[in-house]
Amino acid sequence: MTVARTHPFELRRGTAGRLRVAVAPIPGLRSVVALLALEAGQWSEPGGRPGVARLTAQMLMRGTDSRDAAAWASALDDLGAAARIDVGQHIAIVSGQCLAPDLRAYLGLVADAVLRPAFPAAELEKVRADTLAALDEESRNTRGVADRVWRELAYPPGHPFRSRPLGDEEVVRSVTVEELRAFHAREMLSRGGVLVLAGGIEAAQALEVAAAAFAGWPGAAAAQIRQVPTATIAALQRKDETVPDKTQSDVILGWLGLPRTDPRFVAARVTNMVFGADPFASRAGKVVRDELGLAYYVYSTISATKGQGPWIVRMGVNPKNVERAIDTTLTELRVVIAGGFADDDLALAQDKMVGELRVALESPGGIAQMVLEAELFELGMDHYDRYAEQIRAVTKDQVVEMARLFLPADRYALAIAGPPLSP
Amino acid sequence: MTTQTVSPRLADAPATRRLANGLVVYAVEARHAPVANAAVWYHVGGRNEVPGTTGMSHFLEHMLFKGTPLHPKGDLDRLLARYGAMWNAFTSEDVTCYFETVPVERYPVALELEADRMRNALISLEEVEAERTVIVSEREGYENDPSFLLGEELQAVAFSRHPYGQGVIGSKEDVQLMTRDGLYAHYRRFYSPSNAYLVVVGDDDAGAILERAAATFGSLEPGEGALPVRSPEPPQHGEKRVVVRRAGGAVPILQIAFKSVRATDPLIPGLQALAIALAGASGGAQEAASGRSSRLYRALVTTGLATEVEVSAGLNKDPFLFVIEATLHPEGDHAKTEARILEELEGIAATPLAADEFARVRKQLLAANAFGSDTITGQALRLGQLLATGAASSIAEWYARLAAVTAEDVRSAAAATFDERARTVGWFVPLA
Repeated sequence: MTVARTHPFELRRGTAGRLRVAVAPIPGLRSVVALLALEAGQWSEPGGRPGVARLTAQMLMRGTDSRDAAAWASALDDLGAAARIDVGQHIAIVSGQCLAPDLRAYLGLVADAVLRPAFPAAELEKVRADTLAALDEESRNTRGVADRVWRELAYPPGHPFRSRPLGDEEVVRSVTVEELRAFHAREMLSRGGVLVLAGGIEAAQALEVAAAAFAGWPGAAAAQIRQVPTATIAALQRKDETVPDKTQSDVILGWLGLPRTDPRFVAARVTNMVFGADPFASRAGKVVRDELGLAYYVYSTISATKGQGPWIVRMGVNPKNVERAIDTTLTELRVVIAGGFADDDLALAQDKMVGELRVALESPGGIAQMVLEAELFELGMDHYDRYAEQIRAVTKDQVVEMARLFLPADRYALAIAGPPLSP
Repeated sequence: MTTQTVSPRLADAPATRRLANGLVVYAVEARHAPVANAAVWYHVGGRNEVPGTTGMSHFLEHMLFKGTPLHPKGDLDRLLARYGAMWNAFTSEDVTCYFETVPVERYPVALELEADRMRNALISLEEVEAERTVIVSEREGYENDPSFLLGEELQAVAFSRHPYGQGVIGSKEDVQLMTRDGLYAHYRRFYSPSNAYLVVVGDDDAGAILERAAATFGSLEPGEGALPVRSPEPPQHGEKRVVVRRAGGAVPILQIAFKSVRATDPLIPGLQALAIALAGASGGAQEAASGRSSRLYRALVTTGLATEVEVSAGLNKDPFLFVIEATLHPEGDHAKTEARILEELEGIAATPLAADEFARVRKQLLAANAFGSDTITGQALRLGQLLATGAASSIAEWYARLAAVTAEDVRSAAAATFDERARTVGWFVPLA
């Protein structure tokens, strides 16, 4: 167990089963946020089986060896705890919050779900039916359609990010309890993950509670290493999909990003802020929404993940403004690529990102998210000392270079979902 | 460690000062992070609008980001962005709120910006035209959501006289016809110290916060004060029904709304607990694991009638709605689901919750309250909402009211609310 820096928050580290644990005590709070990230997201899915990671994650909270689904749910609600499980590109994450005195009971329940799920067949049928309904719903949801179409344009067949975490209908229909059990054992139990606790707790006690909860981590076969070839968007790809009876189009314009562990990632994040991350501080949002009034929302995001996560701009636009909003966004991108932005645009982006690190301290969730990223990608014990400096150190030349390398204005994937576009 | 519930800190009670111009300031110390939230609340929202001006309060909210003579458009954005601020605004049926969460040493700047735009917003013709398309785009985004489409119809049908029936964002037609002069008149009428209050929560001495606020806002003219809204909703004497049939959704949706009470009513704490007993504290979406022990989750989702169920018991100035929403499976049966919900409502109105079930509900109620106020922004906005509607004068008082709820309170709140004559039922039926 090591003691890391104490500013801006104390952080203590330890282990619990196959989890690396980090605890950030925040004196004065009544609750604890607990983020448990398992390295069992889309990246870990077997080729051709998109959706297996999410289905497995869903089944964790549907009954364990000692409690059926109803008993587990009642035990969670007895604590008044909030909990959910989501699957993303890289991880499955159990996000929870409980009152501080209930941490032992809460982690006990989560450990029971993660380590000893029963995978009851009847519960799988419910999860299957709910997931098929969600896929059906997404098929007429402009955001869902745009997301599906964009992924299919940007990633080649077989790539783990080509499908949404909800998966493919055929996989959802055909999945078996045995397949989910195998995924759980092979990916969740063998890879382990990270547990972050932030809130009104004392560090040593929280580490002891975590270690006790996840003691007796079962043995498991070694996880498979998935080889993912590098993907490329070689030319402009565009697809328009009509969704009936809608009034607004959802647009995703995007590229393939870079892994969080890439030394250039912080420069990429700063580039993202200069270009489009914020509706007020970034060039795209400022022009598309604030100056031209073309969209209610326009923003860009870069994924902190393994491999080449999406680096995308999302817009909600009236059909008659779609082409202009896209053209304007690309014009702003060309300004970034050409280095035509003001020095103050970069300074503003850096100020905002550094300032946000301080504002995030207001909530246990904000601190937990910061810690999770650092722990998950093993960014170093001194990450919190260095991160603000890394942001400040990014130069205009680096922003231009990142935009030129990763955001070519003539090679991107463009998905538009909504009413028929106006002529 | 034990499983007892932790009481809120005494510091939750705000220090208060009423300035000579009518602005009331509330200050709460929150010392766990070097951060502060400042929020100005105006007593104006959808409730203050009439047909032809629906959506005006929300439109105006957008225009408050378009500059003053002292801070031209863009100044505010860049200044707050440099601080890493989390800042925004929202409009509800009852109020409009502007807030900034900033590093604590910057909150005086947030106060200055809010004081400036309270009386000096430009609201230029050019900016009104540019923003009109943004607001139409916001509305069109909502229109893509079947739940919004049904909810808007349901609310319109439920209220026959009260402006709550108009919602908040307004009709597209009204937004398209709204004039700069109309918006400016709305601004001058409602945006003044005498029609507003300020909440500051953060890492500073409460007395210092009050002094700083008084120095910043004290010189503003009080304004004329807004006339009270007088559009009482007449009693409803029978069930109303609405059906929306559109292709824009794949799954059927069912909403059931009951006329409820205002936030100051003694039934309110019981209604908050009732909502949790029915659907949990955080909704029943697929990824959520909490709330699955609730009555409607078990009756609808566990049995396969629906994929999720949510219940909202709003806190409003005037009597509003208690709403139950179920999202059905694609081949779901509205009538069967509706009957099942009504059966559950009848049961909970007839018999008090058993001791173990009530303990579970109470724990969720109090824990959710603690979670929300363990962030500075959450604490500030929660306090502001309680003050807006008169539900409580502090988070501590609100907590005490929730903690005092009994199983019989939950039953009697259900019995008082679930009246067929006060019910409006909405079905969203997807077309192929």
